[in-house]
Amino acid sequence: MIYIATFYSHFGAIRYRKMCEKNHFTAKIMPVPRDLSSSCGTCVRYEGEQAFPESEYPEELEQVVQLTENGYQTLYRAKDS
Amino acid sequence: MNLKNETTGMIVTGAVIGVIAAFLVLFGNPANMGFCIACFLRDTSGALGLHTAGAVQYIRPEIIGLVLGSFILAISKKEFAPRGGSSPMTRFVIGFFVMIGCLMFLGCPFRMILRLAGGDLNAVFGLLGFICGILGGVFFLNRGYSLKRTYKLSVAEGAGFSVVQAALLILLLAAPAFIHFSEAGAGPGAQHAPVIISLAAGLIVGGLAQRTRLCMVGGIRDLVLFREWKLLIGFVAVLAAALLCNLIFTVTGTGSYFTLSMAAQPVAHTDGVWNFLGMALVGLGCVLLGGCPLRQLVLAGEGNSDSAITVIGLMTGAAFAHNFGLASSASGPTLNGKIAVMIGFCVILSIAGMNTFAGKRK
Repeated sequence: MIYIATFYSHFGAIRYRKMCEKNHFTAKIMPVPRDLSSSCGTCVRYEGEQAFPESEYPEELEQVVQLTENGYQTLYRAKDS
Repeated sequence: MNLKNETTGMIVTGAVIGVIAAFLVLFGNPANMGFCIACFLRDTSGALGLHTAGAVQYIRPEIIGLVLGSFILAISKKEFAPRGGSSPMTRFVIGFFVMIGCLMFLGCPFRMILRLAGGDLNAVFGLLGFICGILGGVFFLNRGYSLKRTYKLSVAEGAGFSVVQAALLILLLAAPAFIHFSEAGAGPGAQHAPVIISLAAGLIVGGLAQRTRLCMVGGIRDLVLFREWKLLIGFVAVLAAALLCNLIFTVTGTGSYFTLSMAAQPVAHTDGVWNFLGMALVGLGCVLLGGCPLRQLVLAGEGNSDSAITVIGLMTGAAFAHNFGLASSASGPTLNGKIAVMIGFCVILSIAGMNTFAGKRK
């Protein structure tokens, strides 16, 4: 499965990519795709068997979506975001 | 939309914006100033009486159009998202000093491109400074810089800035006695395209910038961070299109719109060091804000109140710049302006440090 996580800061994305790699997920940092959000921030695109590399969501995580045939399916969204 | 289509869209958008900017000068805007977010916010500040520099007072319809164009498109595409609460006071202060940097150079990043397109070689120093400032900002981004998260807000909060722009449009059209307009021949504030043309240009550019996320700072930042060229291509397309138009206008005898030189350029000075430092401050501040002044207007139209606060910071900076003699002129920078730019570096670097290394300890 392919997932995209967006963040409130660039450094949040760097930390999340490291977390992914520590848990043996293939991950890369890239700009947020335009069809996902009008934000021009940083996202992490990663592949893995499960949606989240660790059980706790980092504070900087804004949302996680899964790539589907029809677009994106939201799996997580930070409260009040 | 796939990457190829997005890139094509960005090139077309940049080209259209470059052409519009060149034609705005043809229709009456100051030379090499089809668009300048910093100058136009400064003019609007003056029109509202926040400063009293008689040469630069006019409610610029381009600004109103940019915000409303973004607002209308965001609503129609269901992308209007009222949010805010990400260190608004810090953003105000950074916005303030970004304007001080802009008025040292005499232009925002957008006008820097248009000055290059008009053959103004002083803008090369500005561009070099801008790149260095962006690299400085990226240094902090990679080490933990964050202004903390945003929160969902009410529709009224998100739409507030667009409503203010609509009110400014009414004031422009009604022209009551308490609004200040530069008198004919007084300076750049008196040079403007007809309201309907300026407003339409703003609406189109605002809509295009909302769709493509065009950002003068984002292009260089993304190239450094991700080796991603897409936003930078928009930046280059604006330059190429405006340059081509200026050359055509000049060759066809419409007027002189391209002069390759440093001396005697319109609304510009030849002090390379301070052109460099002014734009370095702008590049640094804009990376920390997450976008250039144009992008802040577009985000404010999309409902981002943090960006609205940033724009108010920019306008306040403009008012201070003219009330306290900080803004440069064609004769060069002022001592007060040089001191203000140095203070700006100290303040913005302190903000960057506090929001980078303090956050890491948590």
